[in-house]
Amino acid sequence: MDQAFTDTLRPHLRYLAPGQELRPEDRLRDLGLNSMQAIDLVFDLEDNCGVTLPDDQLTDANFETAGSLWEAVQHARSAVVDAR
Amino acid sequence: MRALGPALAERLEPVLGTVERHAAECDEKAAFPTQGLTAMRSSGLLGLLVPARYGGLGGTVPDLLAVSQLIARQDMSAAMVFAMHGQQVAALVHHASEELRERVLPRVARGDLYLGSVTTEAGKGGHLLSSGTATRREGDLIELDRMAPIVTGGAHADAYLITALAPGATSEGQVSLVYAERDQLDVQVLGGWDPMGMRGTHSVPMRFTGAVPHDQVVGAPGDFRRVTVDVFAPLAHLGWSACWLGTAAGALSRTLRLLRSPEERRRRDLKSELLLTRLSRARQRIDTVQAMLSHTADVYGTLSERERGGAPWQLLVNALKVTASEQCPAAVEELVELVGLRHGYLRNQPLALERALRDLRSASLNYGNDRLHLANGSLSLLDQETTLV
Ligand SMILES: Cc1cc2nc3c(=O)[nH]c(=O)nc-3n(C[C@H](O)[C@H](O)[C@H](O)COP(=O)(O)OP(=O)(O)OC[C@H]3O[C@@H](n4cnc5c(N)ncnc54)[C@H](O)[C@@H]3O)c2cc1C
Repeated sequence: MDQAFTDTLRPHLRYLAPGQELRPEDRLRDLGLNSMQAIDLVFDLEDNCGVTLPDDQLTDANFETAGSLWEAVQHARSAVVDAR
Repeated sequence: MRALGPALAERLEPVLGTVERHAAECDEKAAFPTQGLTAMRSSGLLGLLVPARYGGLGGTVPDLLAVSQLIARQDMSAAMVFAMHGQQVAALVHHASEELRERVLPRVARGDLYLGSVTTEAGKGGHLLSSGTATRREGDLIELDRMAPIVTGGAHADAYLITALAPGATSEGQVSLVYAERDQLDVQVLGGWDPMGMRGTHSVPMRFTGAVPHDQVVGAPGDFRRVTVDVFAPLAHLGWSACWLGTAAGALSRTLRLLRSPEERRRRDLKSELLLTRLSRARQRIDTVQAMLSHTADVYGTLSERERGGAPWQLLVNALKVTASEQCPAAVEELVELVGLRHGYLRNQPLALERALRDLRSASLNYGNDRLHLANGSLSLLDQETTLV
């Protein structure tokens, strides 16, 4: 998980203490992400990380942990590269 | 709505008769339909959704909806009692451990266990996926002290499914669903119930104190969300909508029977364009809900658990709830205008439109439509393709 990604996630996780490291296995909902905020996070990922998650990737499973979301982001990036 | 098979219809018959006989009195006294529940117990229908291997009827979600709808034609409160019990049973069937299922489901099937639902909490209102009630793990037990502002049939239930924070939860979203039997906890009824409608649900404020074995958590600890997405929310919206639809359909049917009676035909012009248009509009609203309900139930049956977590499905089932809660009262409203003051507005008339309307007034509040619109607005943004299921 790169810095831009964890920096983007952090403001959406109100139970992640300042200075506490975000680990791939951390469950995003346990850290305070709810479904109403998911769309804001998607917008921030677009703005800060330059990646657009397609609709079919906006699943509960991909928003389960920091690691699963990171994988979805990586996947979306490589899909864009492949398409070029 | 798919018709009920003959075996289930036969079981349901005495329940319908009993519920019909007591509906007005339960409404008048804001009393629980005790006789109706007894009939549900002895009919085997409390075990409708219990698989046959645990002694149940092995019924389907469409069966649950059909039965709820038929009961609601007579009494929406009794139908709600039944539908919400079904929702609790479905949660146990799909998410309890095998050991818990073996302990509990045969007794549900025998009619010994009527299950109450405890999700609402003061402070968070209807928000299902959070809790402000902490619990503690003591050895193999979970200790809890849960206030519940509104529990349908709470004074009559034999067991409850209760939401509370998982022991050691670090955020408000780590909610567990806990199965507890009445004699395992100190169960207090804290007050009465005197609402506008749904008076027979006898939905009282309660307090649950004590400890239950840790293995009575339904689903993974802290993961009530999964039970909600898979079973709880869909069956709530489907079940409630079936009740509202049944109440509106029952009201229309009684109205039509009145209009067609020889006495009424002499008094009224059945060719009146206003009358015909009103009947048409009421029927249209009812058929709209019926179409949406049966489609949503069909889709639910075909989706994987993963797909139930997706935006297109959640948008549909939330929209069903909002639509049914608006169209069913509007249909009865139409009938009140049509028949006028005596049959439509006076209490304790044979058409019972006044009671139907009061009962249906709860529909938009029962899991607030405002809340669902906000959720659906956000979900829409997540589905820019606008995938229709
Ligand atoms: C007949 C009946 C039986 C019931 N039985 C049970 C039962 O057995 N067990 C149980 O646990 N519960 C039960 N309930 C409660 C029900 O499930 C809902 O939780 C409850 O009706 C919501 O209560 P509320 O309107 O106070 O709360 P809220 O959901 O907080 O809503 C209050 C109002 O505030 C506004 N609002 C609040 N929050 C938001 C938000 N985030 N977004 C948008 N608007 C918001 C809305 O305008 C809403 O109408 C029952 C309710 C009824 C009517």
